[in-house]
Amino acid sequence: MPIVQASNLLKAYPLPEDKNKSFNAVDGINLEIRSGEIYGILGPNGAGKTTTLEMLEGLNDIDGGVALIDGIDVSKEPYKVKSIIGVQLQSNEYFDRLSLSELLVLFGKLYGQESNSEALLSKVNLLDKASAKPDELSGGQKQRFSIACALVNSPKVLFLDEPTTGLDPQAKRNVWKLIHNLKDSGMTIVLTTHNMEEAENLCDRIGIMDKGNMIAEDTPQALINKFAPDPPQAPLQGNIEDVFLSLTGHSLRD
Amino acid sequence: MFTSAQLHLARTFLLIFLRDRQSIAFSLLFPLIFMGAFVFSSGDNDPIKIGLINNSDSALSKNFSELVSKDPLFEITEGDEAMLRKELILGNQTAVVLIPPDFGSKNESNELTLLLDLSQVRQLASIRDAVDKSLLSIEREIRSMEPMFSLNIEDIKARPQRYIDFLLPGLLAFMLMNLSIGGSGFNIVEYRRRGILKRLFVTPIEPKDFIVSIVLARMVIVLMQISVILSLSILILDITIVGSLVSLYGMVMLGTFIFLCIGFSLGSLAKTQEAIRPIVGLVTFPQLILSGVFFPISSMPEIVQPIVSALPLSVVVTGLRDIANDGVSLFSLNGTALGIFIWMILSFILATRFFVWKEVAK
Repeated sequence: MPIVQASNLLKAYPLPEDKNKSFNAVDGINLEIRSGEIYGILGPNGAGKTTTLEMLEGLNDIDGGVALIDGIDVSKEPYKVKSIIGVQLQSNEYFDRLSLSELLVLFGKLYGQESNSEALLSKVNLLDKASAKPDELSGGQKQRFSIACALVNSPKVLFLDEPTTGLDPQAKRNVWKLIHNLKDSGMTIVLTTHNMEEAENLCDRIGIMDKGNMIAEDTPQALINKFAPDPPQAPLQGNIEDVFLSLTGHSLRD
Repeated sequence: MFTSAQLHLARTFLLIFLRDRQSIAFSLLFPLIFMGAFVFSSGDNDPIKIGLINNSDSALSKNFSELVSKDPLFEITEGDEAMLRKELILGNQTAVVLIPPDFGSKNESNELTLLLDLSQVRQLASIRDAVDKSLLSIEREIRSMEPMFSLNIEDIKARPQRYIDFLLPGLLAFMLMNLSIGGSGFNIVEYRRRGILKRLFVTPIEPKDFIVSIVLARMVIVLMQISVILSLSILILDITIVGSLVSLYGMVMLGTFIFLCIGFSLGSLAKTQEAIRPIVGLVTFPQLILSGVFFPISSMPEIVQPIVSALPLSVVVTGLRDIANDGVSLFSLNGTALGIFIWMILSFILATRFFVWKEVAK
């Protein structure tokens, strides 16, 4: 049985211009994510990636359909689901005046656990920053710290919302390596991304979302073969970026 | 009673507060400034500055000027009329006494003239009484008369009660209101804006755990701050708390609960950090003026008294004052206790009604 399973997942928001009408930010998508894989959700801004993730994480109400994490219904038992998943949010701000290790201990306590802050920090290569405050960290360090926070409860499924957005190539590779290590330890990882290289290199399978719908889903190589087998000018073949653009169109989105 | 997550979160809020030296300093500053003003102005009143123009060279005028100079109520400056009139206009003298040249006849009544700036007439009555009193005692001395009456003032409350004793409970109440509303309202808006609330609700804690932690932490913070001010008042200003400290602290905690709830409602009402300041100001400033912090509500126009005394700060101020000044116990407060009870219920309903969890986590 897949560890993350969603069927006909639906989220409706009122339209900004007419509050009586609504649009579906997530329009009945189906997901089956296997235990131990890295699954990437790709899509332009506003495609519904974050909303999908938040419904799976129990942070946003599910308006229709069912989501199961490790067999637990998210709508019915959100706190039970929250205790077995790890979540990294796009914004990573924390309480002021607390050090990294104090924050990790706090997050551990919120799961009713004693967290080993040293082990977590060394896992993300931040042990020397244990007594630093989050706002003293660089972008890449902050991102790694927020992954450490998501790991305090040794989750079965780790959700990462755009883990490498805004990072320089070195920091980005560093985060990829970390994600690979986590996968090797047997963790299931669900991430959203804008970065095609990331989707291609990191993910076992990719789901491409547009306008609240899942429009394609497969391994990176299978998607390339299917949608961009031989680009006219490229020497070998297109890449996932070509797949992405051919599926979602070339016009600029906001 | 409390889960370890709640206690740890409360401990964290407390830690964050204790590391924020600036906000500790500022929350203590306001009551300290007010009380400091009383340290320096306490004791005897400043002597009234009086200029004396002695146009007579009689023994009686000399006698008068000597006696009046000895009176601690006055600070006498002798000089000529032109100079003292000028000083009076400049405000360097409160009043000028003019002794006419013909002063000194023991047979007829002697007349003194008191020059005053009428815009400063506020002090006229007390100056006049003081001058009258001095003249009377001079007269007695010269005529070798014993006073016929003496007035002995006895305080029926049989304990010292100064304005500072009245003021302190008001300041304590105002302080706890600010700490509570700031700690709940401002924090929620700030945490929501920065996504910290959402990060918290990623973990399996429930909204009520978050609320319980803030309430616990703020209770401790308010009790600590109140204790600092209270100890300083007792040690330095020699303030007497007539009622029991247990009742006083009980009242402080009930008040803190009310204002935390009001703060939660305001924090949920305000969508942005910019909006929360005016909203909180709108709630706290009128209460500072109207709720009897600085002067009794009974000195206000009768028509507004019932409304004003129903304000939450008024209820808390009255409760604290009854305990601190009149020794009433927490359980025999009657009307005030009812007011406290009603506000606790009302603010709790408001807080839970307005507190939209989905909004908070977003």
